[in-house]
Amino acid sequence: MVKLVFTPDWFLGKDVLISLFSFFILATLFWISFKNYKFSKDKKSFLYFGLGFLLIALGELSTILTKLVLYYNTTFTQQIGQIIITYNMVKSVDIFYKVGFFFYKLLTLAGLYTLYRVNSKQTTETDIILASYFIILSAAVSSSFYYLFHLTALILIAFIINKYFRLYKKNKLPNTRILITSFSLLGLSQLIFIFSKLELFFVLANLIQLLSYIMFMILVIKITLPLKNEKKKK
Amino acid sequence: MKRKRSRTDIIHDMLRCILEKNNRIKPTHLMYKSNLSHSQMNLYLEELLKMGLIGKIAEKGKTLIMTTTKGTDFYRQYSQMREFEKTFGLE
Repeated sequence: MVKLVFTPDWFLGKDVLISLFSFFILATLFWISFKNYKFSKDKKSFLYFGLGFLLIALGELSTILTKLVLYYNTTFTQQIGQIIITYNMVKSVDIFYKVGFFFYKLLTLAGLYTLYRVNSKQTTETDIILASYFIILSAAVSSSFYYLFHLTALILIAFIINKYFRLYKKNKLPNTRILITSFSLLGLSQLIFIFSKLELFFVLANLIQLLSYIMFMILVIKITLPLKNEKKKK
Repeated sequence: MKRKRSRTDIIHDMLRCILEKNNRIKPTHLMYKSNLSHSQMNLYLEELLKMGLIGKIAEKGKTLIMTTTKGTDFYRQYSQMREFEKTFGLE
């Protein structure tokens, strides 16, 4: 018996909306980063940074598509409460779900790792190969032990927070503080997702993830409207 | 210690000074506000005019400098890029 998702019946669809919102914010961050890369002409860090967000966005898209098929496939909806929780992997359609969720995990972890390594001075090819191996392994094993994915994501997010905290100690920028808060909330949601076998924790983790992406949205607004900010400073 | 201004930083500072003065500024004011020498400013003004980022207008017998739409767009995009760089430590 393998659990595909832990969504309570009354929360079905709402989690997809949260993922959809997350996808739009991540795609926007990718777009801004890519625009800056084109504007700066040669700054590769913008490109890699955008790539990190793009990978996580594609991960969210993968989970959205998989969940939509899972929730709204008519052959399943009548008995969804029982089927989702205790469904044996016998039908070929299950491969679709497994692959969908695998890509979600793989792309999310790869994206987080990319965000962590951007601007790192000591990245070697062996580091990247080793990290890729562990990311693939973690995503693959997570289909049986779901908490491994959330634990790996939590560790990567902790590294990212540490990186931005060191930056904040130098620049003291309010925007970097918002960024740290956003990642901290995202990390907290991953921590709660570890216990998502309990429905309440699953819902709570989703809500915290939503809050995290709202913070990212505030950050996007603050960055894209620098002229207004400058006027306020005066 | 503050880093040395790049060429693009100087162009951005000049555009900011013009926009802060309601898009009309005297060349001497621009020189003081953007911390440039006379010869430096002339070189930059010539370049900005060539790039179509600024224009010159005559008002009450005086020559004033203003930014073009292209100049304002450049200023906005560069400000956004700098803000993004600083926030995420991509400098």
